Amino acid sequence: MKNKSERYIPLVVSVGQVAIFPYYIIWLKQASITFTLFAWLFAAFSFTAALGYRIFQSKKNTSSFIPFIYMGMGSLYVLVSILSNSFEFLPYIALLIQVILGFLQGYYHAWHIERKAYRLHAVNHYLLVGSVMVVLSFVKILSPVIIISAFGGVLFMIGFGLAWVTQVTCIELDDVK
Amino acid sequence: MKLLPIKLQKHALHKNPWFLGLIVFMFSVWIVLNIPIEKRKYGLSQSNLTTDYTGLLPERIKGIVKAGDRTELQRIVKEANKNGHHISVAGLQHSQGGHTYYKDSVVLDMKTFNKVLEIDEQYKTVKVESGATWGDVQAAIQPYGLALKVTQSQSIFTIGGSLSVNAHGRDIRFGPMAGTVKEMTILTPTGEIKTVTRNDSEEWLKYVLGGYGLFGVILDVTLELTENEVYTIHTRVLNIKDYESYFSNLLRNDDTAMHYARVSVAPSTFLDEMYIIDYKKTGTQDNQTPLKEEHGARIGKMAIDLGRKGGSWEDLFWENQKLLIKSIDGDKITRNNAMRGNSAFMEYTKPSRVEVLQEFFIPVDQYEEYISDLKNMLPDNDKDDDFKIHNITVRYAPKDNYTGLNYAKEDMFGLVVLIQHGLQENEMDNAEAIIQKWTDLTLEYGGSYYLPYYHYQSKEQFQRSYPGWGKFHQEKLKRDPNGLFQNIFYNYYFIEGASHEK
Repeated sequence: MKNKSERYIPLVVSVGQVAIFPYYIIWLKQASITFTLFAWLFAAFSFTAALGYRIFQSKKNTSSFIPFIYMGMGSLYVLVSILSNSFEFLPYIALLIQVILGFLQGYYHAWHIERKAYRLHAVNHYLLVGSVMVVLSFVKILSPVIIISAFGGVLFMIGFGLAWVTQVTCIELDDVK
Repeated sequence: MKLLPIKLQKHALHKNPWFLGLIVFMFSVWIVLNIPIEKRKYGLSQSNLTTDYTGLLPERIKGIVKAGDRTELQRIVKEANKNGHHISVAGLQHSQGGHTYYKDSVVLDMKTFNKVLEIDEQYKTVKVESGATWGDVQAAIQPYGLALKVTQSQSIFTIGGSLSVNAHGRDIRFGPMAGTVKEMTILTPTGEIKTVTRNDSEEWLKYVLGGYGLFGVILDVTLELTENEVYTIHTRVLNIKDYESYFSNLLRNDDTAMHYARVSVAPSTFLDEMYIIDYKKTGTQDNQTPLKEEHGARIGKMAIDLGRKGGSWEDLFWENQKLLIKSIDGDKITRNNAMRGNSAFMEYTKPSRVEVLQEFFIPVDQYEEYISDLKNMLPDNDKDDDFKIHNITVRYAPKDNYTGLNYAKEDMFGLVVLIQHGLQENEMDNAEAIIQKWTDLTLEYGGSYYLPYYHYQSKEQFQRSYPGWGKFHQEKLKRDPNGLFQNIFYNYYFIEGASHEK
């Protein structure tokens, strides 16, 4: 079960995140008012990604958090899709989202590169992203909000499912003991 | 314990989670403090529709001329007379009723006509081109220990714009702004360049000052100045009913140079409580203190945005304002800096809504009764209403004998009201109905309303507020026979009126 989840789910997560990236960027640009703030928000993302990456490396038993990382990232994408663009405090919320998302992605990436399937994922990832983007280029009806929220929802459910499966597995192992 | 070489310690530092966490925290705080404020998009445009600060009256114009040379301006005016074109005059465009443009007009953008020409230290005067801002003038006169006699509370506006609306501010000693103009050079509607004074028999100043750009182009102005004195700030919270007597005492004693007040629009103290800020003379002149710049606008904007939500947020905003004025009680400030209020924190860019100003003038001795009636007319909690009142500032507007369309026929208090409402047709109609009712109440008390703002009022209310409108109109027709200088304001009040009034 674990091998399967490590084989397919990270690929879905990585490809999905790159595929929705253009939509997310549009939202972030609208929330940023100026290019300067837009750049600062990316810088904040990068710094917190470094923090997330480092925290993964410095902890033991780090894999157990991965379902919650998925759930966290999914929740943030759903939040982005429901926030109103005319909300007065949008730049502050965007900063908070960038900081949390950066941390989660840094942590996730540090975990992902240690998986055995990572090298295989890298090739498939590029091929899939290319294909998905070509498909999305023909999608004219769905708004970016729907695509971001759909991916956020999928990510959250994956995380929730993994957490549930992990818990069930632990209980079963305890019974065996 | 084995010590690592310095090179390795440095290498390890950026991998330390605590260090990275600290970087993230500090960088995030820095971003929060530097998030820019979104500015309203407005102004002159040849490719799109032109608007002024509110964006409520979009219109297509013929062209924009950036003023730079007075001979060129003269040529444009003469040619427009010949060709039957219309001209409008624009500065910063913070007037809100289409005073700076007109359908298919050529708009003279005066912002580039902004040199400070001459400072006379002995006679305390400054000669300045009309496109300069009050801030430009302050920067030029501050090293001489001089300050303006009367100006607006913010220094971002152009001299020509403020004089065209005969603006007023926090000074309570030097009378109306129009009274501080010693001399002026104008370009008349027939293309003549004239230098005019208050004693001019043709009375050009009477119509150009507070003339809303309808009587020609102000080229340069000589303004009277005073000392850049250091003041002590005195603040106090008052009950509305005590304000008239407080202010009478203030005027009688000569120790206060400037003053303004704010009335609570928070539900729990609605039109009951107010606070006052006085600037008391110290007798010390200053030419060293630098002119203050706006800082912390983002924090101010966050506070004002919370207050804009109304209800208990407005209560919280009012309580915070009281704490703030308490914290500055006893501080020292120069006259120049007291005339440089902040403005960026007030930006309002919520889609499908607008924030506008209205100002009602009420005779000083009618204040208490007027506020009492106003309290019965307006809801004390507008949280769930479309029409929201966010601020009422009170300023003294002394009797004005200098201008044709004078709003202060006697000593008045000006109540500057900050309002937000929606832009749907029914929301605009609702705002118009409330403001017209408010105007009727003001007129009952012998008051008037200010004309640089959006025309919610009817033509009939305008004529009651400004009995001199007929003479003003006659002079306009006499001095500008071809109707060269035009704007939306003139068209509304003097020609067409509102569509439902036709």
